[in-house]
Amino acid sequence: MTDAVGPLIVATLAVPLSAALLVTLLPTPVAADRLNLATSTLTAALALALAVVAIAAAPDVASRGSWYVLDVASGVFLAVVAVVGFASAAMSPFYLRHAGRSWFTARRSHAWYYAAFNIFWAALLALPLAENLAIAWLLIEATTAASALLVAFSGKRSALEAGWKYVVLTTLGLATALLGIVVVYAAVGSDGSGLGRLDWQALAQHANELPHEATLFAFVLILVGLASKIGWAPVHNWLPDAHSEAPPPVSALLSAALLPTVLLIAWRTKLALEPALGSGTVQELFIGFGLVSLLVAIPFLWRPLPWKRLLAYSSLEHMGVLALGIGFGTPLAIAGVVIHVAGHALAKALGFYTAIPLLREDPRTADAPARGIARTSPPTATAMSVSLVSLAGLPPSPLFVSEVMILLGGMEAGLLAVSSIAAVLLALGFLGLAHALLEGLFGGEKGPHRRPSRSVQAIALLAGIAAVALLGLTAIAYALPGSDIVEALMRSGA
Amino acid sequence: MSPAAITALVVLGFAVMLVRRRSLATLLVSAQAMVLGIAALSLARGRPADFLVAAIILLVRAVALPALLTFTRRRTPEPYLVIPATTVLVRLVLAATVVLIAAASIPPLGLGDRPAEHAAVALLSLGIAIVIMRRPALLQVLGILVAENGIYLLAISVPGGLPFVIELGVLFDLVLVVTVAAAFTHKIHGEVGSGDTDLLRALRD
Repeated sequence: MTDAVGPLIVATLAVPLSAALLVTLLPTPVAADRLNLATSTLTAALALALAVVAIAAAPDVASRGSWYVLDVASGVFLAVVAVVGFASAAMSPFYLRHAGRSWFTARRSHAWYYAAFNIFWAALLALPLAENLAIAWLLIEATTAASALLVAFSGKRSALEAGWKYVVLTTLGLATALLGIVVVYAAVGSDGSGLGRLDWQALAQHANELPHEATLFAFVLILVGLASKIGWAPVHNWLPDAHSEAPPPVSALLSAALLPTVLLIAWRTKLALEPALGSGTVQELFIGFGLVSLLVAIPFLWRPLPWKRLLAYSSLEHMGVLALGIGFGTPLAIAGVVIHVAGHALAKALGFYTAIPLLREDPRTADAPARGIARTSPPTATAMSVSLVSLAGLPPSPLFVSEVMILLGGMEAGLLAVSSIAAVLLALGFLGLAHALLEGLFGGEKGPHRRPSRSVQAIALLAGIAAVALLGLTAIAYALPGSDIVEALMRSGA
Repeated sequence: MSPAAITALVVLGFAVMLVRRRSLATLLVSAQAMVLGIAALSLARGRPADFLVAAIILLVRAVALPALLTFTRRRTPEPYLVIPATTVLVRLVLAATVVLIAAASIPPLGLGDRPAEHAAVALLSLGIAIVIMRRPALLQVLGILVAENGIYLLAISVPGGLPFVIELGVLFDLVLVVTVAAAFTHKIHGEVGSGDTDLLRALRD
């Protein structure tokens, strides 16, 4: 099977890239919708096959080539990107059908949307497979161009503002990270050959020989640079704007796939360079980003925000939780991180898809909090509930289990004070989201009951699937600690 | 790299922070890339493959990207002068402070060319400062290019240089991002009638 991994990876990346090209040649929006659905089904199937191979090989690395690595971490993140990408592709026609004005002409808008979408998705699929720090950086930078066009797809003034902020801030952040990568490359010196000096495995092998001061400087630059793309506070300014202004399927891909996938690169960099730096400083940096992200996000979860903006600040909160989990670094915390990545992806993507019928039925919810949705559209209210209950961490949400695992992992690492502060912040976040959900479902004046549209029917179906998947994830969470999967994740990339 | 070339790179970076006209700022960034490109070519002498890559990078950074930005500038004429958020003196003092702190705080990076290490970090800091302090979208794109020139300076200072895959990959990504940023500049100008990013302030919580 491992012989087939290389061609399978090439096929997984070639299908969306070919789709990006082909879709621009199609004459009608409907044809573009159909082609995209077909190619995205194939892409997701290929990526999920790779994920299964990777996870089944735990605790070993399934396959390692000259430019790729297929380990358990690749498998988990590939699965997340595949599922969210496919769901976003499937939900895109519901958005595009009623999108109105866009950056492009009405006739070509579907084609250009799908072209940018597929390039963005292909880069995201390649990212967990990247065996090399520099290649990973190139892929992250490549996501910026395609996703910025998608963020500003509506062409509205606010979308242009969000897209511009996203391009400028993340490009500068990644420039900072690149400077750090050049320093690491120089520090590795003549040990290793060319590009291979920056392979995760080579970095881990040579880490003990790296000069401490220069490597620490480089690591800080890389982490701060990646933080600007992950959306960790205080370098998160683009995140709420881009998530709220992008088309909902793109917001889902940004929040549920892009942020955690870039976080995987930060995690792999940590594991590779930790021997040169000592675990203390590295841990403090991750925990610092985690706590600051929680502190910045929580007050916004208490404010009456439009639905997508609320979800954006929830992303900031959850990226903070993941930073804490990686910072703690104990097996229990890492098990929590994996469940958190998957649970957050499912719940957050569903939340953003819910914005499609929500915005269509009541366009005011683009700029104001949703109110009384349980009365006007029970299926939409159900999807909102599944999403926000899970994101808030109410049992039996897998995010409840993962947050408990991460906090216990922190205590296990001897960081009782940090875990306690994080627990209080998460409790406040829970209350904020619970309040927002109750107001969204039952608050406001009585509105008319609306007949379910096709997008409402689709979101009801997705809510059911997501609820089952989330419960399944909760069950997996109980079995994960102590498994081969966690053992493999503790040394991802090395 | 020669001290004169390094000084020229930093002075050109400061000049981009200070000048008013977008056309002049574009020329300054082009000149900066030209200085870097010539330095890279001289370092690659005797190695044909390295020389070819350095020549491609010079052409793209010093000619193609400034040409793209000049094209964008001509398509986005400003109806009025965008008033800078701060005076020239304040910008100069702030930029000098940022650059001095950044350059002074870096440890030895092991490249064996300490002035180049300082200048690389100075240019990255200057690029970030330009994006923060300059309002016109096109000047913010030029700020990104100043920062990227700083990284290229560090890259060519690495003994043996960087692998072609990284150098050309970074160049490809840079072209993509600048092209998208140029498209945004045009679109923003069409939407608000100016490239002044201060007019884009709708998204606040």
